[in-house]
Amino acid sequence: MNRLRRKFLKAAAAGGVAYAFGRTAGTVYAQMTGTGGFADYKALVCLFMFGGNDSWNMVVPSSTAEYNAYSRSRGGGTTSSLAVDRTSLLPITLPGQVAGDLSYGFHPSMIGARDLFAQGKLAVMANIGPLIRPTTKTQYQTAGTTGHALPPQLFSHNDQQDQWHSLRGRATMKSGWAGRVADVLNAQAGNQGLSVNVSLAGQTFFQASEIAKPYVMGANGPTQFAAFPTSGVGPLRRQSFESVLTATMGSSSSSMYERAYASVQQRAVQFADRITLAIANGYSFNALPNTGTLSSLQQQLRTVAKIISVRQNLGLSRQIFFVSTGGFDQHDDLVRDQPGLLSNISSSVKMFYDSIREIGMDNNVTLFTHSDFGRTLTSNGDGSDHAWGGVQMVVGGAVRGGRFYGAYPLLENGGLSDVGGGRIIPSISADQYAATLASWFGVGDTDLVKVAPSINNFAARNLGFMV
Amino acid sequence: MAPPISKVEAFRFLNQATFGATEVEANRLIALGDSNNAYSRWIDQQIGREATLLLPAVEAAYPDPIPVNFNIASLNGDRLSQWFTNTLRGEDQLRQRVGFALSEIFVVSQVGALQNLPNATADFHDILVRGAFGDFRVLLENVTLHPAMGVYLSMLGNQRAVANTNLRPDENYSREMMQLFSIGLVQLNVDGTVRNDASGQPMASFNQEVTEGFARVFTGWKWECPTTLPACTFATTRPQLAPVAGYNQVRPMRLYPDFHETGTKLVLNYPGVTLPNATIQAGQSGAQDLKDALDNVFNHPNVGPFISKQLIQRLVTSNPSPAYVQRVAEKFNNDGAGRRGNLEAVVKTILLDPDARNPASGTAAASAGKLKEPLLRLTQFWRAYEATSRSGRLGVAANFSGGASAVFGQAQGSSPSVFNFFSPFYAPPGEISDSGRVSPEMQIATEYVNTQIANFFWTQAVSRTHAATNLAADIMYINTTEELAVANDSEALINRVAERLLGESGQISATLKAQAKAQIERTVVPATNPNSALATRTADAIFLVATSPEFALQR
Repeated sequence: MNRLRRKFLKAAAAGGVAYAFGRTAGTVYAQMTGTGGFADYKALVCLFMFGGNDSWNMVVPSSTAEYNAYSRSRGGGTTSSLAVDRTSLLPITLPGQVAGDLSYGFHPSMIGARDLFAQGKLAVMANIGPLIRPTTKTQYQTAGTTGHALPPQLFSHNDQQDQWHSLRGRATMKSGWAGRVADVLNAQAGNQGLSVNVSLAGQTFFQASEIAKPYVMGANGPTQFAAFPTSGVGPLRRQSFESVLTATMGSSSSSMYERAYASVQQRAVQFADRITLAIANGYSFNALPNTGTLSSLQQQLRTVAKIISVRQNLGLSRQIFFVSTGGFDQHDDLVRDQPGLLSNISSSVKMFYDSIREIGMDNNVTLFTHSDFGRTLTSNGDGSDHAWGGVQMVVGGAVRGGRFYGAYPLLENGGLSDVGGGRIIPSISADQYAATLASWFGVGDTDLVKVAPSINNFAARNLGFMV
Repeated sequence: MAPPISKVEAFRFLNQATFGATEVEANRLIALGDSNNAYSRWIDQQIGREATLLLPAVEAAYPDPIPVNFNIASLNGDRLSQWFTNTLRGEDQLRQRVGFALSEIFVVSQVGALQNLPNATADFHDILVRGAFGDFRVLLENVTLHPAMGVYLSMLGNQRAVANTNLRPDENYSREMMQLFSIGLVQLNVDGTVRNDASGQPMASFNQEVTEGFARVFTGWKWECPTTLPACTFATTRPQLAPVAGYNQVRPMRLYPDFHETGTKLVLNYPGVTLPNATIQAGQSGAQDLKDALDNVFNHPNVGPFISKQLIQRLVTSNPSPAYVQRVAEKFNNDGAGRRGNLEAVVKTILLDPDARNPASGTAAASAGKLKEPLLRLTQFWRAYEATSRSGRLGVAANFSGGASAVFGQAQGSSPSVFNFFSPFYAPPGEISDSGRVSPEMQIATEYVNTQIANFFWTQAVSRTHAATNLAADIMYINTTEELAVANDSEALINRVAERLLGESGQISATLKAQAKAQIERTVVPATNPNSALATRTADAIFLVATSPEFALQR
């Protein structure tokens, strides 16, 4: 079969049922330039801070009583204090705030984030985390006898990452919420030159799906296959290589590990050349320059911005990107190391927003943060331990920024929302967060429960932070 | 008399028990006896072999004198090179393989706080390799008190609560020791299946109060003193950098009693627990607390199935049957001589079990075995092709643009976190997840990593061979002499590659063989100056097999 004919068949298959063997064949993507079912383009960018960001130091109360509670809880005045100095905070003003009101400031290393907040382009989720239903301290404490539903394995890294990724609550779930968004929108957004879900930071449960396969590239995009030059015997070598993969995926005598591996290999070959070329032809941003020293996170975001800049060439209408940076599990040396981590988050987010603005797509692209969990208010000597609620941020032109969503708690050790050691119960849930983002992205109201399975347990299905 | 071991069976065994089957080792195994006794004889020989280590290479790599501003982190590269040397050439293959499996359970990493402690990171791996056939309780204590783990999971310097402040002990090591190194998060049956409560939810194996209890146990430990500086205190923050006698990067942490929590500590409760009320009494010494706490963990019924199943997953198959897990876990619980945690007996049981030795048939074949992790694909390939370098140094940085991790998605001692390169519970969406199975190694088999690995094998096959001239001294090259000799015959060429990488020429699938032959034949061998064409044909054959799904599969 000649190559054109094969391409045509693949494109045809993508529109209908493409399962040759179970789901191993997955969705076979059109290699031709497709046009999505959406007239506009929208992208969500998930920035995951691995390890559990100590976010009570990211946005800090600055009014006297609230700061003092925060400082007391964090060991202020002792050698093991984790509190950020009050005078160093970067002040922000909430809508309608007058003298004497509660006030807050950003960590001193977060100038970019503070500026975006002041411009109304960054919203703060004041106390968010995985919840199955609204939870009070009493409900938490008596859950063992009342059966009040709590996310399992609170305070465990991988389990709480999984909660953010999948919103699974106590159910067994094989997909992430971005994966389910892609599946829900598959008919409209599925026929693209690249997967709806793209990770620049390795495989992630967040993007796992039943139908629409995610695609993983490096921080600077895909790698091309060195063995397949377009001259000489290169194209035929590629054909042999692909034929082996196709045969493996279609063979009932191969093992499921071989089939899974072949499926990844096949996507790798199909996308590598086209995406590499598209990125090479992408926009050169002032805010995220092609040359100079960028952090890994900034490189990932530059690649995301470049793909967005060539969205039309690739026939893209809806995309969810995953980028990440680590090092946040600061049981040790928090005071020494957190400023560098937060500075990287702040500057990266600002550079990304500015870049997207350069191509006039700022109203179409929304970046939001996830992290394993918030951390204990109390100090273990020079760091903090695993906890629950914390602060997350949403950035973009379509964000109703400059505001807090959810109630910022009084950071009092032993206070109303502390379940012990300064572990704060979230006031809004990761389900509400995801549902709000998914609604903006184009998921219909009736499908929201597929994306955020616990959403109907909360009074507000939409937190209102998206325009 | 039982039948002799076939070449394919030998390859299957050696890919479970070594860093890659080779024809030489397969023949040696086959010569040890019939299929009833050759495997156990081979294992017994291996258990007797002395451990090859990493620390000596790191110590030897320090320049003398150490220059000002010496980049001590560069010595991590020397550790990694030595790891390749040991895994490619070491005679203690089984010990190395089990040690590597243990290093994916007891994880420390040069990425992060250990970056500038290369001796500690190397020596930590050595205690796993030395302990591969030893006692699990001893290993758990060695791991707990090793300064590499102390730094990595912040037990080093952890101190008791201070009254009237909000200072309390660090929970990092406490939590991960239970979650990752011993019992896991949920209660298990002896066959590794999860125990659910009446409402169908898994039952947790510990809670926050127990995490705090162990956090209190693990207080008061810090650097051991260098012998040259006996007056060190809890406040001594820097280990000595120079590799002198008594060098404290590698000596077990020392207890500083003033910083140890002396109150009671809640520990694990389970049927048969020996401590009254699962509580360590107040006022004991830090050493006694540690002993009681580790005994309490070690005797938890989860340890057998939790550790056994992960060792099976690392060595044999991603989805062992509950019966297989149970056979191994029972051996962990009692080696037959009344000993619990005898890893030698556990490893033997894993490898000699019928589920490991007999190829699965029928529908079970589809989920037998596992995907090879990238490093094991590389080491098998290099071992099969007798890879070496002109300098004789193996696996050094020169071979990997950006480092081994950047190319292969993993490198020894370089995990991104204590959660290893991949999770034992990872299930890729599709038929594996739908059938309730897992494929941990698939977590790092991404489009990106797989492409880079394919490119690595292509470069290796096409330009890094014994025939290449002007290779840099440390570049690893493979020996393709035998392939080149038959490369004018596509059938003979592909058969030779299949024998090397898959065990027998008959093992290669019909499609791969046909496609490889077709590709080989596309390069016509001219009557004069045939060498370039023969090299291209050889490279094509090696590339297509080395990147194939069937080579990626450990049967």
